[in-house]
Amino acid sequence: MTLFIIRRLLSALPVLFVVSLMTFLIMWLVPGDVSAEIGGSDATPEQIERIQAQLGLDRPIHERAISWYANLLRGDLGFSYLLNRSVVDAVLERLPVTLALASMALVMATMIGVLLGVSAAVRHNTWLDQASMVAALIGLSIPDFWFGIVLIILFGVTLGWLPTGGYVPITEDVLGWARSMALPALTLAFTQMGIIARMARSSMLDVLNQDYIRTARAKGMRGRTVVFKHALRNAMVPIITTIGVTTGILLSGAVVIETVFSLPGVGRLIIGSIQRRDFPVIQGGLLVTATVFVFVNIVVDVLYGVFDPRVRDER
Amino acid sequence: MTLQRRLSRYLRAFGATTVLAASILSFTGAAYAQVMGGEIVVSQNSNPPSLDAMATSSGASRNINMNVYETLFGFDENVQAIPILAEGVEISDDGLTYTIPLRQGVLFHNGKEMTARDVKASLERYRKVGATSNLLEPVENIEITGDYEITLTMKQPTPTFIEAFSSPRAPAAIIPEEDADAEAGKTSMVGTGPYKIVEYVPDSHVTLEKFDDYSQDTRHSGPDGFGGKKTAYLDKATFRIIAEPGAAVAALEANEVQIVDQIPVPAARRLESNEDIELYENLEWAFSVFILNMAAPPTDNVKFREAVQVALNMEEIMGIATEGLFNLNPGWAYPDSPYDVGDVGTEGYYNQGDVDRAQALLAEAGYDGEEFVILTDSNIPEHGRAAVVIAEQLKAAGINAVINQVDWPTALNIRMQDTGWNGWTLQMGIEPYLGPVAITSTLTGERPHFVEHDEELEALYQELVTGATAEARKETFAKIQERLYEFFGIIKLGDAGLMQAARSSVKGFKTFRFPRVHDVWLEE
Repeated sequence: MTLFIIRRLLSALPVLFVVSLMTFLIMWLVPGDVSAEIGGSDATPEQIERIQAQLGLDRPIHERAISWYANLLRGDLGFSYLLNRSVVDAVLERLPVTLALASMALVMATMIGVLLGVSAAVRHNTWLDQASMVAALIGLSIPDFWFGIVLIILFGVTLGWLPTGGYVPITEDVLGWARSMALPALTLAFTQMGIIARMARSSMLDVLNQDYIRTARAKGMRGRTVVFKHALRNAMVPIITTIGVTTGILLSGAVVIETVFSLPGVGRLIIGSIQRRDFPVIQGGLLVTATVFVFVNIVVDVLYGVFDPRVRDER
Repeated sequence: MTLQRRLSRYLRAFGATTVLAASILSFTGAAYAQVMGGEIVVSQNSNPPSLDAMATSSGASRNINMNVYETLFGFDENVQAIPILAEGVEISDDGLTYTIPLRQGVLFHNGKEMTARDVKASLERYRKVGATSNLLEPVENIEITGDYEITLTMKQPTPTFIEAFSSPRAPAAIIPEEDADAEAGKTSMVGTGPYKIVEYVPDSHVTLEKFDDYSQDTRHSGPDGFGGKKTAYLDKATFRIIAEPGAAVAALEANEVQIVDQIPVPAARRLESNEDIELYENLEWAFSVFILNMAAPPTDNVKFREAVQVALNMEEIMGIATEGLFNLNPGWAYPDSPYDVGDVGTEGYYNQGDVDRAQALLAEAGYDGEEFVILTDSNIPEHGRAAVVIAEQLKAAGINAVINQVDWPTALNIRMQDTGWNGWTLQMGIEPYLGPVAITSTLTGERPHFVEHDEELEALYQELVTGATAEARKETFAKIQERLYEFFGIIKLGDAGLMQAARSSVKGFKTFRFPRVHDVWLEE
């Protein structure tokens, strides 16, 4: 297992290299640079050139790429053009917000999604099945920014139970933090819950029709044990895959949710940096996000082995 | 100390005392209503790129910084330059020496008293890192001529110097000498204003706290534009960054935010009936303009540009672009502002929507259906909406108009190229406020907005900046306005407004170029 993890970690390196290289190329192809943000709409070509020279933006792309990779090997992601801090600092101070948001949403989406999916499968072709799948479909179809605003109006404005936005660090006030994260996490979870529920349902239906389930029932085993121990465990592999993919979607979905709920997370940092062409932050922020995503995938691979001994043996 | 100066100091002291007494007398009635203490939250939609006032010309930064930093001179409510940290200015007869005595007893947020050393150090830093460092271009030398006096020596007489130097665009803030060597954005964020910065979390909030030892400018009876006698009633003011307008409105309704710096007009209309919320309209917020590229065909032909000018119906464009919050104004100054020259030169050209005349002009120009590319962006909604209406109106007149909507940095990149675009929609925010010199400078010099130079306009700009008196400059400005309606490099669409909102419990708030949190208090 250790060898497997090491192998997976090493195979992540080329992925991250390609991600960073692609980012470099895309940002190079996109017109405009940060000099527009600094100089504004009245800047003269001379001012723009001066800013570009100061920031080294006039250097050829390969030179910039080589020096960026050289710095990366020293653990230096560079310095933001606009934020007056290193990229590492800028990303690290926002990473907890995004990770907390994504993981809270993941827990909510998984719990509700699996529960909905399992109950729909167990009560196949009943009203519960229909209702669960309608709920899942609604979750899947509703745009998250719209749903977020609706939740803000309902819980923030009309009922006044939860704040309409903003972030309270957990170190300052635990309850305040939970309150500030509740609505964004729920919004984010709602869309993903649908995907997980649908996958859990179809995967469970497959398993529930297997012979060994009938055998388990025939030998008089309790229904709950059959469903959760025998069926769900076997249905878990596709569900885990979905959750792995969902994590990626949650990380990118966090961008929209962070904007709607005014949370200072990595998503907003990257979007803001793209809009202002703050290349080092885009480069560093995407590398960190890609690393998190790759890491989640490794965890998913490891979990396959936990749920399915055959996979473990193959390794 | 010369007799003259001693006398002037007595006079100033006397003046200050009388003003103070008068203000106490006149304000005793109202004073009861003002409440000390409390906290408010102001929301704005974008993150301040820097809290180093002089290093940025961003509006998001200015909103916060102007509550924290002060300048030697600044604009009053009527956009006239007044001394703020300066006592005044004495200009030599040859116009080459500016002696600027400073107010005494002004403390920085770090407790140190402001002296001429800090002022010289700040101005020297402004030359290096100031976002509009060209304001100090006319200054040859900055000298300390007393503990509380500096003297500027000019390269040549520049009658508009104090007016230009009062610009709040990237204010020449006075900061402590110790920060003078700090790179852009790396100061200790200490100023002399009524509020001090205590916390900055990017993309989240900036917290300001009342500066207890703030030195009020007692020459005035109350706040006046960027200066005057400022009073910090609130203990704390937090600027929260809420990018999503709907969320900002929700926060206002839930009383989590007390002032919203900019709210969408449709949301404001919905809130009109809400007793807990007051709406504030600022109808002199920006000029909506349509810039034509004089270097690329077909807009390199003056007859074609004239056709565009007469084809446009400004009322429709402004109505849709600003969602109804606008004034039709053909002039290049706000109505009743110091340089307002009315509609001189604009007759028969503004808000015509005259298809027949446009078509006749197009025929005269020999237009044969070439593409007319309108450059616009998605970041500022007014730009995109204006472009859509303009394109439709031009199509109706027979112009093959297409829209190229990109993001803001891309738009700024494209407009720097001589070809690839013909029209560009832009909201000019701060320039019209700053006045004729600021506007005309964007239309002249190394690269005018409309790409090609207009020699006559260049000459008029020189006449404007060297005009000895305000009257002379206004006369020149009238000629500039006439000239703009002769070669049609830039088309004035109208004056765009800004809608702000606050909770009814917020008192004393007045819409201005930035949300002033001083002289604002919460009703008990």
